[in-house]
Amino acid sequence: MIRSWLREPLVHFLLAGAAIYVLVGWFGNPYGPTDRTIVLGADRKAEIAAGFERMIGRAPTDSELDGLIERWLREEILYREGLRLGLDADDPVVRRRLATKMDELAAASAETADVSDATLEEWLKSHPERFIDGGTVSLDQVWYASEETARAALASGRVTGNPISLPRSVEAMPRAEMREVFGLQFAQELAKLAPKPEWQGPIPSGFGWHLVHLRARDLGSVPPLAEIRQQVEADWRSETIAERRERAYRLLRDAYVVKKR
Amino acid sequence: MRKALLVAFACTTLAGCGSGIGPRASEAQKGDGENTIELAEFPDRPYWGDTHLHTDISVDAFGFGVRLGPEDALKFARGEKVVATTGLDAQLDRPLDFLVISDHSDAMGATRRLHDAPRLLIGDPTLRRWHDMMRESPEQSQRAVAELITAAANDQIPEAMRDPVQQAKATRDLWTNHVALLDRYNEPGKFTAFAGFEWSLMPDGNNLHRVMMFRDGSAKTGQVVPFPGLDMKVEQLWDYMDAYEKNTGGHVLAIPHNSNLSNGLMFEMTAPGGVPMTAEFARRRAGHEPVVEATQIKGDSETHPLLSPNDEFAGFGVAGWELGNLPLTRKSTPDMLPGSYVRSALLRGLTLEQRLGVNPYAFGLIGSTDSHTALATGDEDNFFGKHTGVEPRPGRALEPQNLGTREGRYGWHYLAGGYAAAWARGNTRAEIFDAFKRRETYATTGPRMVLRLFAGFDFTASDWDGDWVRTGYTRGVPMGGDLVDTGKAPVFLISALKDPDGANLDRMQVVKGWIDANGEAQEKVYDVAWSDMDGKRAPVAGRIPAVGDTVDRANASYTNTIGSAQLRATWTDPDYRAGQRAFYYVRLIEIPTPRWVLFDAKRFGLKLPKEVIEASVTQERAYSSPVWLRPAAKAGTGKT
Repeated sequence: MIRSWLREPLVHFLLAGAAIYVLVGWFGNPYGPTDRTIVLGADRKAEIAAGFERMIGRAPTDSELDGLIERWLREEILYREGLRLGLDADDPVVRRRLATKMDELAAASAETADVSDATLEEWLKSHPERFIDGGTVSLDQVWYASEETARAALASGRVTGNPISLPRSVEAMPRAEMREVFGLQFAQELAKLAPKPEWQGPIPSGFGWHLVHLRARDLGSVPPLAEIRQQVEADWRSETIAERRERAYRLLRDAYVVKKR
Repeated sequence: MRKALLVAFACTTLAGCGSGIGPRASEAQKGDGENTIELAEFPDRPYWGDTHLHTDISVDAFGFGVRLGPEDALKFARGEKVVATTGLDAQLDRPLDFLVISDHSDAMGATRRLHDAPRLLIGDPTLRRWHDMMRESPEQSQRAVAELITAAANDQIPEAMRDPVQQAKATRDLWTNHVALLDRYNEPGKFTAFAGFEWSLMPDGNNLHRVMMFRDGSAKTGQVVPFPGLDMKVEQLWDYMDAYEKNTGGHVLAIPHNSNLSNGLMFEMTAPGGVPMTAEFARRRAGHEPVVEATQIKGDSETHPLLSPNDEFAGFGVAGWELGNLPLTRKSTPDMLPGSYVRSALLRGLTLEQRLGVNPYAFGLIGSTDSHTALATGDEDNFFGKHTGVEPRPGRALEPQNLGTREGRYGWHYLAGGYAAAWARGNTRAEIFDAFKRRETYATTGPRMVLRLFAGFDFTASDWDGDWVRTGYTRGVPMGGDLVDTGKAPVFLISALKDPDGANLDRMQVVKGWIDANGEAQEKVYDVAWSDMDGKRAPVAGRIPAVGDTVDRANASYTNTIGSAQLRATWTDPDYRAGQRAFYYVRLIEIPTPRWVLFDAKRFGLKLPKEVIEASVTQERAYSSPVWLRPAAKAGTGKT
C-alpha cells in the first residue's frame, strides 16, 4: 500500500516541490516572480558567461559580461513584471514549454533510475508477448503458378514444383525471416497448418501456390532475462515514463472540472 | 559545491541531463560484428535498409519541426510503433535490417541548440530572428529553415553557426552519446545500426552531398566527429576518410546522392573547377565512393528522357526535380544533364577509364529515403513525407514544396522514397558494409523485390537446374563485379522475384553502356524477360506490348491479375565486340501501381487535378549495380 503510494507521481511532485522549498531556504536565495529583490551571485554570472561561450565560442570580455548581465537583469525584471501582469497567460509558447516541463518532471525518476533485476523479471512475466522469441519453422516447399496444377501434383504424388528462386527447404528459419522471404500471406496460411509427415496444401502466397511439407514448428518462448535484459529494460523504461506522465496528468485532470459548452 | 548540489538535484528531477540513460551495449554490439554470428557460405538474401535518414539532430530537420531523435528512428526502423512528430502513429509493415542515421554534419544539433538557447545570449541578429521563428509556430519554424538552407546555398550562414572548430566542439558531446546509442541498438544477426552523417557540400546551391557510412562501433567512430561540408572540397572529405582509416584502423565510405540536383557537377568529365582529371583523382573518387544513391524522395537519378530518348521507361521520378539545383537558385540546362544522372555517369566513367586507366565512376547503386522525419518509410501507402511539415495531412500533395523558393516543385513531385538492398552473408556491420564496398547492392524505389545477377562467360540455361547460386559465385561474378574480356560474349544469369507482399513484375531489362569503335559512348536497353513472354505479349516489330494497368485511381488499389511473380533469364550480349569496354546493369520493372498521392486522395477525400492523377500511377523498379567488362590488361587501354 505504502509502496504504491510512494510511486504516485503526484507524491513526487509534492516531494520535489518541498525539496525545492528546502533547498531554496537553505541557500537563502528566495527567488520568486513576486519578489522585488534580485540576488546576483557568482554562480549566475558564471552561468551567463558560460552561455555566451557556448554560443560564441570564446569567453566574454569584462565589458561584454557587464553588458550581458545588464541584459539578463533587464530580462529578469521584465519577466517578473510580465508575470505580475499575467502576460504568461494565453501565450502558446509559454503554455507548451511549461506543460513539457511538467511532463518531464513526472517522467524524470523513471528515466534515470537504475532498475533492479526483480523489477524487470516482473515486467517480463507480465508482458511475455513483447519478448517472445518469434519461433522457428522447418519445412520443404514447392511452388506452382496455379492452384489447379498444385492440386493435381499433390493428387498424383509427384511433388516437384515449378522453378522459382525461393528456398526449397529451410531448417529452423526464424518466423520473422520466413515472413520476409515468403511474404505475409504465406506466413498467415502456414500458421493454419500443423506439422505432418506428408505434403500439405496448396496454400497461397504473393507468388502463387505452394505445397508444403511442414516438418517442425517451434512457437517460440520467452528467453531468460539475462539474454534480453536490455530490451526488457528499454521497454520497461519507456512504458513507465509514459505511464507516469499519464498518471500524473490524470491526477491533476481529476481535480479539474471542465465545462464544455 | 552549492552549484554541484543544485545540478545534481536538477538532474534527478528533470530529464535530459546527459543520455547515460538506459542499458549498456555488449561487446558484440559495440564492434564491427565480425565473429559474432554464424555466416552463410555465400550471400544468401538481400538485407534491406535505409542509409539516408535525418532526425532532430539535423539542422534543417529540426527546423522543419521534427522532434523525433535517433532513438525513435532506430526503434521505428526495427519495426516498433512510434508517434510521429505531428501526432500520428507510425509503424513499418516490415522492419528494416539496417539503418544509417545520416544527420547533416554542418551545424549538427545547432538548430536544436539555437531553439533551446536563452534568447539574450544569441548575439547574431539573424540567429536571434531564426530562434524566435522556431519558437513562434511550426510554419515559422519551417520558414526559418528555408532561409537557413538558402543562406547555406549562398554562403551566408552566420559566422556563429559555421565555424568548424567551434562546431566540432559543440558536436563532440552529441556525437559521443550518439555513437553509444547506435551500439545499443546494433544487434548482430538481427539489426545493424551504422554510424554515419551527411556531408552537405553545396556550391551555389548545386547538390554535391554525400552520406558517410562507418563500418565500426563507437570505440573507433567515437574518435572522430562528423566533418563539415559547407565551403569544403571533396578532396578534403577523402582526406578526412583516409585519416579516420589510418588512425583507427576502421573503414568508412561515402555515398553521393541527389546528383539530379547537382546541375551537372556530381559526375563531371573534369576534376572540380574544370581542371583536368588526373588518374590519382579518379582512383580516389572510385575508392572512397563505391556506391551512389540513385533514387530517393527528392527524385530519381537513373536517367533523363533527354539523355535516353530510346528508353520508354526513362523519366521515372524526374518531374519537378529536373528544373534546377536544390534550392532552385539556378535552373538546369540540357548540357548539365550528363553530369547529373547515373547512367550517363557510368558512361563517362568508361570514357575516362579509357583516357586515364582508372574509372572514377565505377559505382554500384542503392536507393534510400532522405526522410527528415526520423521515419524510414519507403512504401507508397505509408509515406510520412520529406519532412515534418509534410507529414500526412490534406494539403501536402498540392502545395508548392520548394526549399527556399516556391516555383515549379509541388508536394506530388516527392517520391515515397527508396531502399537499399545488400547481398550479405549475415546481418552485421562488417558484412553489410563489405557488400557496399564490393558493390553487391541494388536500389529499389520502395518495393522489396529480390534481384540476383551473375555474369560470366560459360553460363548456360541448364545452370538453373542445380545450385545456381554456387555456380554463379564460383564461375562468375555477382552484381558489382568486374569481368576481364576473354574474347567471348558475357553471359548473365538473372533472377527476379516480386516483392512477396507487393505488385507483380512487368519486365526485366539489361541496360548496357559501352564505348564504340569510334570512341563514342553508347547505351541500349534490352528486354530480357517479361510476363506472358510466349503468350499475349510476344514482341510486335521488336517491341513488347505494355503489360496493362489495373490501378483503380479512386481507391488507390491494383490487382496482380497481370504481370508475373518471378522472372528469369539466361542472357548473352548479342552486340558484344571483342575488347569492348562496357557495363551492364539490370532494371526490373513492376506493373503499374498507385503512388502515395492517390492514397492521400482516398484518405483525405481530395480532388486532384487531372495532371496529378496521371502522374500518380507509376511502375516502381529496382536497379542492380552494374557488372563491368574490361579489356584484358595486355590489350592495353587504347582503342581496340
